[in-house]
Amino acid sequence: MSADDLLLTLLIGFLAISLLRGLGYRRLSEDPRFTTWLNRIDRVPYWSRVIAFLAAVALLAYINGDDYFTSVLVSVATYAMLGLGLNIVVGFAGLLDLGYAAFFAIGAYTSALLTTQAHWNFFTTVPLAVLFTGTAGAILGYPTLRLRSDYLAIVTLGFGEMTRVTFNNWDYAGGPNGILQIPFPEIPTFSLAGVSIGYTFQSQFDFLLVGLALLAVAMIFAQHLEHSRLGRGWIAIREDEFAAESVGVPSLRLKLYAYVMGGMWGGLAGAFFATRIGAIDPTSFTFLLSVNVLIVIVLGGTGSLPGVLLGALIVIGLPEVLRTFADQRLLIFGIGLLVIILRLALGIWPRIRRKPQPYYGLEIEEPAKVAAKILVEHQQQMVRRDARHAAAGHRVIEEGEAILEVQGVVQQFGGLRAVDNVTFDVKRGEIFSIIGPNGGGKTTLFNCITGVQKPKAGKILIDGRSVVGLRPHVIAGRGVGRTFQGIRLFKQMAVFENVMVGLYPRHRTMTWQALLHTPGERKDEIRTLEESRRWLGFVGMEHLAGRLATELSYADQRRVEIARALAAHPHLVLFDEPAAGMNPTEKLELDAIIRKIRGLGITVVLIEHDMSLVMRISDRIAVLDHGTLIALGVPADIQEDPAVIEAYLGREDEIPMPRAKGA
Amino acid sequence: MAILEVKDLHVFYGNIEALKGISIQAEQGQIVAILGGNGAGKTTTLRAISGLIRPRAGTVTLDGKNLVGRSAHEIVGLGLCHVPEGRRIFNVLTVDENLNLGGYLIRSKRGLVKERKEAVNALFPRLAERRMQLAGTLSGGEQQMLAIGRAMMSDPKVLMLDEPSLGLAPILARSVLRTVRQIADRGTTVLLVEQNARQALAIAHRAYVIEVGRIVLDGNAADLAKDERVQKAYLGGFEAVAAN
Amino acid sequence: MGPFLQYTVIGLTVGSFYALVALGYTIVYGIVRLINFAQGDLSTLGAFLGWTLLVTFGLQELPLPLALVIAFVIPMLGTAAVNLVILEIAYKPLFNKSLLAILISALACSLILSNGIEWIFGPRIEAYPPSLLPAEGMFLGTVHVTFVQIALVVVSLLLMGTLVAFVQGTTIGTAMRALAVDHDAARLMGINVNQVIRLAFVLGALLAAASGVMLGLYYVQIQFSNGFLLGLRAFTAAVLGGIGNIPGAMAGGMIIGLVESYTTGYLSGKWEDVIVFGVLITVLVIRPVGLFGERVAERM
Repeated sequence: MSADDLLLTLLIGFLAISLLRGLGYRRLSEDPRFTTWLNRIDRVPYWSRVIAFLAAVALLAYINGDDYFTSVLVSVATYAMLGLGLNIVVGFAGLLDLGYAAFFAIGAYTSALLTTQAHWNFFTTVPLAVLFTGTAGAILGYPTLRLRSDYLAIVTLGFGEMTRVTFNNWDYAGGPNGILQIPFPEIPTFSLAGVSIGYTFQSQFDFLLVGLALLAVAMIFAQHLEHSRLGRGWIAIREDEFAAESVGVPSLRLKLYAYVMGGMWGGLAGAFFATRIGAIDPTSFTFLLSVNVLIVIVLGGTGSLPGVLLGALIVIGLPEVLRTFADQRLLIFGIGLLVIILRLALGIWPRIRRKPQPYYGLEIEEPAKVAAKILVEHQQQMVRRDARHAAAGHRVIEEGEAILEVQGVVQQFGGLRAVDNVTFDVKRGEIFSIIGPNGGGKTTLFNCITGVQKPKAGKILIDGRSVVGLRPHVIAGRGVGRTFQGIRLFKQMAVFENVMVGLYPRHRTMTWQALLHTPGERKDEIRTLEESRRWLGFVGMEHLAGRLATELSYADQRRVEIARALAAHPHLVLFDEPAAGMNPTEKLELDAIIRKIRGLGITVVLIEHDMSLVMRISDRIAVLDHGTLIALGVPADIQEDPAVIEAYLGREDEIPMPRAKGA
Repeated sequence: MAILEVKDLHVFYGNIEALKGISIQAEQGQIVAILGGNGAGKTTTLRAISGLIRPRAGTVTLDGKNLVGRSAHEIVGLGLCHVPEGRRIFNVLTVDENLNLGGYLIRSKRGLVKERKEAVNALFPRLAERRMQLAGTLSGGEQQMLAIGRAMMSDPKVLMLDEPSLGLAPILARSVLRTVRQIADRGTTVLLVEQNARQALAIAHRAYVIEVGRIVLDGNAADLAKDERVQKAYLGGFEAVAAN
Repeated sequence: MGPFLQYTVIGLTVGSFYALVALGYTIVYGIVRLINFAQGDLSTLGAFLGWTLLVTFGLQELPLPLALVIAFVIPMLGTAAVNLVILEIAYKPLFNKSLLAILISALACSLILSNGIEWIFGPRIEAYPPSLLPAEGMFLGTVHVTFVQIALVVVSLLLMGTLVAFVQGTTIGTAMRALAVDHDAARLMGINVNQVIRLAFVLGALLAAASGVMLGLYYVQIQFSNGFLLGLRAFTAAVLGGIGNIPGAMAGGMIIGLVESYTTGYLSGKWEDVIVFGVLITVLVIRPVGLFGERVAERM
């Protein structure tokens, strides 16, 4: 079989499988036999699946024996590596990067310069290439990652071009001619037990082996990352940065991690590329390359690892197969790309979250045990937190004392005073409601308390410490949970994963442990999973834990959101219109949940419009109208307060309005 | 004959049913108030009528013509104008330019545009003074006036106002509503969504109270103004009302 | 002092071309939050259409004013048609889908357009008739300015002025500006949003095509691959001035033209890219909304 035929068969085969998969997936994923089969595959550790697959590819190339075919596979492997790296930046963290070629270039030139000028061994240049690339990413990323996504696109594009041009103009790096005669990678000859060992990788098949080995490592790392706390944090940021920040995910820091880590992958691929081709010059690192890598992951399905492989196969394989149309290659490619993106905006092998049941082999606990465990854990957390608080020199707030103090807070937008000199206290352990007509400044006040906005004036103290000017994730980390007006769950994540994101501040593992999936990390993940399930049980959502968040009803989503806010054992929670859109039965269930939360010793502050719920459940109520606090007291008093009644229903006119004609 | 008739409207946001069979009628020249707490479905009702959302079931007829399925800009052409919640004026354009856009559909008839602008200025003299000012620099009350004036440029048969008194001091709110009365007296039918029940009921002919996507009370505005259930609906929970 | 003014003249000339293309980017982005990567290639298309008319169809034989008018108008119309097709086929279906999908679609369109131009018009460098326009110039002090330069800058300014007059002075133009704020509110005024979006694409294409023909007349040589660099410079200009901001795009274009010119003059042509992007990145880091502030639709 000629190389072309083989390639074509592979391509068509993969395309067929993925299209079928896309078409039939919905029905298949309902079928329990399919899920069992998937779960069985899942039990085989990922790394062995990857190695088995790549070994099969190597075997195929070996049997085929055609050098050209093998070299195409090496190119596919290289692009797959690049795709995996960009996948972290774009697919996981959602950052629009159009200049990925820069990392490729830096890695390649670093390795090439070290081997040609300083005569290092290829394998020792790799860590340095990766390091330099990462540093470059950190330097560029730090000031620019706060820009809006389209600007980030142009800035990264600029960075890519700047890098290429700089290498083009740099004589030491060979200028426009680049670096030639880059030596092959070799294991230097040495003696082991009398046997001489040494090897120079120089045939196409040799390169395939090295490339596949690197690819295997990259894939395994990527998979580990995806299912780690960091990966969840990235996906949360991509889905809803605002919500992620508010549950304790430090979004700027994580974006930087994604950019740098993704970049380092590119550097690795670059080093490999340099030694494999043997000569590099600036024309290998153009914008077109960055575009191609982007196409690899979008075509395959952003965020999906098999998709990246498929994308690489198509992007490299297709132009090779279309060699006869070499002149119009790019044109056909562009048209094909357009067609695919129009029909399958999610890519050919999209990342579909499966419904694991039961997941990770955990036992299902009874509700009573769940409740008891949570109470015990929570109390332990409270004691620990108070101890740390005291040790740090802060005063511990007792039950009945003010846990949240709002003093003279003012917020202004242009000429409008949204919050006008509001002062009140919330005591630890109470249920406190803030009500008032629409536009009264209630959500603005919440935003000031949780750090989303900075008030123009005034003090806000939580636990006796000021929170004004702190970023939302810092405040969340101090033990403040929040839900939002209009639910903000992470849509493309399963229910239990949503809650796991809420546990972000409480993990103990570092990134390298996540990459290697160490036993310590595994234990941490299981612990987090158990906790998330327990909180889901607390709000009565455990049976839906495996579902995608979007599949749930509105009221159920709200309960999951509450579980997410509770996950890190906060001592203060802020719920913004939790009962909105619920029917009376659901509101009664919500009532019960809020009481249970208070039963744990957590202070609850509500913004709510449903008066019967508010009157029933609150210990005290504050009424905000036009940004001013017009009443504060127990429900009975508020209901009779004339100022409150007037705020809601309007005043009886002293000057009666003329009656409408014909009324 | 009702100039605007809404029958059994069902609106969904994804899987969530926001309106569960709303029926509303307005006779020509009437002011019809739609009251209810936050999240009840008042804004959704207006958006479904003006074509910003498509209802899953139900009919909306304006002067006998069906509106469901038509695009929003077509519906404006048929004589229905919606002033959305929060005013949504174009803050980077001047007052004059905002008004011009209100007259978008008659833009080729310069004389008519001028005439209508003068009518709007008569209604809202404060606006005339601020013709060349950027709309974003106006006060809340002035922005509301601009929003209504803009709507009147198309001389609609039916004018829908979503919470015009939102964020306004009581005096201004009263002034705005008084102007709404003037507009109705000239023959324009007005659909008025309000949280401020008493003032709305003071100027309206009929009123509907919506809760959680359903109409729970309706009738003569004067009667409802004296009805205790309305107060309960706002401050005591509508379940008490629905149970009666 | 001498070279400085000379570089300034060159920079302003080229800058006005960039400004035209930048306007196309900015108008479209302000309304629909989309980077039309094909914009630069539309300019190249205009250049080649003009070349075809002048050289292949022998238009250059006609009296100069007539030839020039046709050489501008026909490419402008043709390019407008192409941009509308791109809008309907490649962008409209993806409007509410992911940001990434529409970005890829835009990149694909750019690929198709530039390679399509190569396929139809050939990969070689082609030349506008070099003797078509008078080469004379005059001296203003120590600076040499050709009449062609003056004419082209004047034409560019006229085109930009017309656009601004249109956008400020007509109701449809005002509607376009309104779309850069709030789509729903515009709908409620009776504005047919889809129609106005189409108008924006047409305007962008008209300007791009005009700049393409002018680039052909100025630099004489054109090649299918010009679009990429031009588009990049122009989009940088638009972002620099503040995306969605029309005066910003014009100023941005001039600034980029000047930066380019000074870099080539004082440093070397090969550092153009680095300096231009360096300027952009610095400005964005200090002032993220661009020099004159952005104007992008908040609610679509």
